Amino acid sequence: MNKKRRMFIRMIAASLVRRRSRMVVALLAIIVGATILAGLGMIYYDVPRQMSAQFRSYGANIIFMPSEGTFISDDAIRSAISVIPSSELEGYTPYRYENTSIHNIPVTLAGIDFTSVQKTSPYWHIEGEYPSSDGEVLLGAKVALSLGVKTGDKISALNSFEVTDNMDVSTVPEYEMYEDPATGDVYCDHQLDLTVTGIVETGGSEEEYAYISLNDIEYLTLVKRGYDIVEVSVASTSDNLSQYVTKINSDGQLSAKLIKRVTASETEVLTKLQSLVFIVTAVVLILTMICVATTMTAVIAERRREIGLRKALGADNSSIVGEFMSEGIVLGGIGGILGAVLGYVFAQLVSINVFGSGITFRPLLIPITIVVSVIVTGAACLIPIRNAVNVDPALVLKGE
Amino acid sequence: MFFTMMKGTFTKQWKKMLMIAVTVALGASIATAMLNVMLDVGDKINEELKTYGSNIVVQPQSEAVVSKLYDLDNDDITVDYINEEKTGELLTIFWHNNITDFAPEIATEVTLPDGETATLTGTWFNHHLEFYKKGMTYERDTGIINLRNWWDIVDGEWLDEQAVEGTLYAMVGKDLADAKGIKAGDELVLTANGVSETVTVKGIFDSGDDESATIYTTLPVAQKLTGKEGLIQKIEVSAITSPDDELSERAARNPNLLSGEERDLWYCTAYVSSICFQIQEAIPEASASAVRQIADSEGKILEKTELLMSLITFLSLLGATLGISNLVTSGVMERAQELALHKAVGATNVQITVLVLTETIITAIIGAAAGYFLGYAFAQIIGHTVFSSSIEMSGMVAFIVAVLIIAVTLLGSIPAIRMILRLRPSEVLHGGH
Amino acid sequence: MSSLLELKNVSKIYGDLHALDNVSLTVDKGEWIAIMGPSGSGKSTMMNIISCMDKPTSGQVIFDGDDITKYSRRKLTEFHRDKIGLVFQQFHLINYLTAVENVMVAQYYHSMPDEKEALEALERVGLKDRAKHLPSQLSGGEQQRVCIARALINSPELILADEPTGNLDEANENIVLDIFRQLHKEGTSLIVVTHDPEVGEVAQRIIRLEHGRIASKK
Repeated sequence: MNKKRRMFIRMIAASLVRRRSRMVVALLAIIVGATILAGLGMIYYDVPRQMSAQFRSYGANIIFMPSEGTFISDDAIRSAISVIPSSELEGYTPYRYENTSIHNIPVTLAGIDFTSVQKTSPYWHIEGEYPSSDGEVLLGAKVALSLGVKTGDKISALNSFEVTDNMDVSTVPEYEMYEDPATGDVYCDHQLDLTVTGIVETGGSEEEYAYISLNDIEYLTLVKRGYDIVEVSVASTSDNLSQYVTKINSDGQLSAKLIKRVTASETEVLTKLQSLVFIVTAVVLILTMICVATTMTAVIAERRREIGLRKALGADNSSIVGEFMSEGIVLGGIGGILGAVLGYVFAQLVSINVFGSGITFRPLLIPITIVVSVIVTGAACLIPIRNAVNVDPALVLKGE
Repeated sequence: MFFTMMKGTFTKQWKKMLMIAVTVALGASIATAMLNVMLDVGDKINEELKTYGSNIVVQPQSEAVVSKLYDLDNDDITVDYINEEKTGELLTIFWHNNITDFAPEIATEVTLPDGETATLTGTWFNHHLEFYKKGMTYERDTGIINLRNWWDIVDGEWLDEQAVEGTLYAMVGKDLADAKGIKAGDELVLTANGVSETVTVKGIFDSGDDESATIYTTLPVAQKLTGKEGLIQKIEVSAITSPDDELSERAARNPNLLSGEERDLWYCTAYVSSICFQIQEAIPEASASAVRQIADSEGKILEKTELLMSLITFLSLLGATLGISNLVTSGVMERAQELALHKAVGATNVQITVLVLTETIITAIIGAAAGYFLGYAFAQIIGHTVFSSSIEMSGMVAFIVAVLIIAVTLLGSIPAIRMILRLRPSEVLHGGH
Repeated sequence: MSSLLELKNVSKIYGDLHALDNVSLTVDKGEWIAIMGPSGSGKSTMMNIISCMDKPTSGQVIFDGDDITKYSRRKLTEFHRDKIGLVFQQFHLINYLTAVENVMVAQYYHSMPDEKEALEALERVGLKDRAKHLPSQLSGGEQQRVCIARALINSPELILADEPTGNLDEANENIVLDIFRQLHKEGTSLIVVTHDPEVGEVAQRIIRLEHGRIASKK
């Protein structure tokens, strides 16, 4: 039996290797099909992840607010943030607001970290630059307009307050402090000189604040306290987001809230996008399968005479079907492997070009691609082979 | 004779020709469907993104200049207003078809029966707007029901302006309603500037943001309470826009610096900045600005989606191309014996080549025509399943597909023709195969 | 000498056409017969019926005492590969297999492929040194000899050759006829369909067919 099997393999190998040009034609069709399956498959599964990262250009989708009557402490932020997987966390920015006046016009100052705000509010249009050190300020467009200042100008913020015992006044110049002779209370007109490094334009309420560093706001108020609000940007599904929010809220240190308009719309658009890729993949795949089938039909039809000859040499139908099917399956397997590799390369290229980051490799898609292309090729061969083996060898061998 | 031979091919070899035609049709249908979807996906996704709300805000000139920093004490400052009637001007601008929804607003602080204050916003819910200008009538149904489609109605229902005209109704935010124990159907007395109105609460909404602590009512009610009848403070506009590029960024800085040609191109492209510009042209006393948070992310997502679709389209076209040229090649090769016969009886290479090419291209054109309509069907299937709306068919696609198919067919015929030219008639006619 | 093959009143009718009309013929073991006649005379039909690739409309075909017209399809295939070797005018070699592999295909379907035996068969037709060549690298005469080697390989009782020299020049024709003579000497029965009188002359007996009937026996 061994010898017979060896001859079987020898025949199939010869057919695949020596009929190279025809096999390449068939193989190409299968490779294209498999590439589309593997490539679009990977893209399909990666679209939500990649796209939700794009949606983060919308900015924060969760906000933390203090529980009744307090401020948000660094510890509370840390423990709340630890609920969110670091791979999904785009960034978070704590805000501390203080009412002050600049050149006698009341202005709300917001103390923020300028590196993290670029993550949570990527849509800010900055004319000029983000402040890079203390003593610098980023003005909202409306504040800048009402102050009549532009980038590069110097302004000074003034904060008047009553000095309490727990304040460290060592950094405050003598001349800013004065005592109310009537009550003996000490007051302070604390001033901070700032350079305008940029003006932020958003079309929204962000334009109504002036942004300085957290150090500066602490210096200006002489009070160390927590934050008023934390903006958090998380690239995840809306289900996950609700879970994180529930979990954070159950801790009770602060109250987390989903920004509904962001998360609701995002889910909707993402679902549409994913089903778009799905349907496109399905349509393209069906058409490519038909293409593979017609190609295989053509390849088999070409060999009717050979099938007739084999029958004349005494082959029974089942052994001919077996031989030709094995050829098809080997072809499908090779095409599937190459297609899976090319599909991965394609998906990777798309991902890097479109989203600027690599695709998540999905190992399961490789065997699926190979199995599907073997099945499709096999099925595509079966019908023409079944037709071909029923031909009368005498007719085929006699010529047209 | 040429035609007789060709007729012979189509009658005797019809099965093979049919197979070529079918493959070409499949390829053409992929190309048609994908190209149309690709060209239309921008608009479709843009419509989906409208769920983000308005991306342009129109405010009075001076309101834009003097900031709302003084929000806390409203009385101290002069807030300018726009005439409510001007809202209709939005329907007259060049890109009016891209404006999907808009709603004018006026807001004020009102005192509730318990003495506490809340923000009241008067706006359109589903207003039927009729606007007359230069003998033309413009009509549109629009309002915040579309602009705030992320609102959850937790109690009652949306305020249907067209059904309850002349009656005093309001919708209350969930946070406020919870705090005050307000339910749908309740009556609420609102007081501002010495004027009182009793409104019926139509529904309680949860917006997931600050708006949940406010009250929304119809424009006339709010105007009456503020004493600013016929006036509004701002208009929220939701428009379908093209992603920003280098031109639009330069234009946003200063439209006057563009060359005439660039300016025309900018004006006639639906950039958020050109739409804002056109709104300002139509309502000179107002200033229109992009809501960056929304305009920017929309642009980005749109750009990514279009790029993604074009790459997928490219792959599908590549697949279709290879499939077609494959089959054309093997289809022609199958006829080697017959073609060798032509050669044996004295046909020149050129004659055979012309014969084969003409036959193949006629087949391809028939296939491509069928494929175009099949592709149309596929595009509509995609449009209706994914976006529940038709995909617009572009004439350009028909042209591209036609050129592509002819090019691919010719390309696919090259190996076959080279083989024909090499054919020695005796080999084929007497050979073992 | 006992008879190998006996056709008894065999007819083959396609619609109105009587391709074979009540033909009776006996072939003895070891006999060399030529069947001649113009095209359309029923040669090919007769050939197909004898080679079990076709069944007669009426009549009996008795091979070695068995009526093969009653065989099932499967049995017929088995019988065919055991008893008959086919030689074609157009050689019909599988073009992606080498000469020796083409011979081995016949072994493969018959019993067990054996490269040594296949090479011996090629040696008999004088092609041992061409064993590793593909059909496209062989001349027409060489291809026909491979075809004969393939027909021989399973030691059939009958070799059926359909216009075996139709595509060959005279030199190659003589080589092929020499091989046939050799086979005849070894006791193999041969039926050769031809319209070449020279090829017919070499046979022991010539059957002439005309309009589906045997016109003369010699």
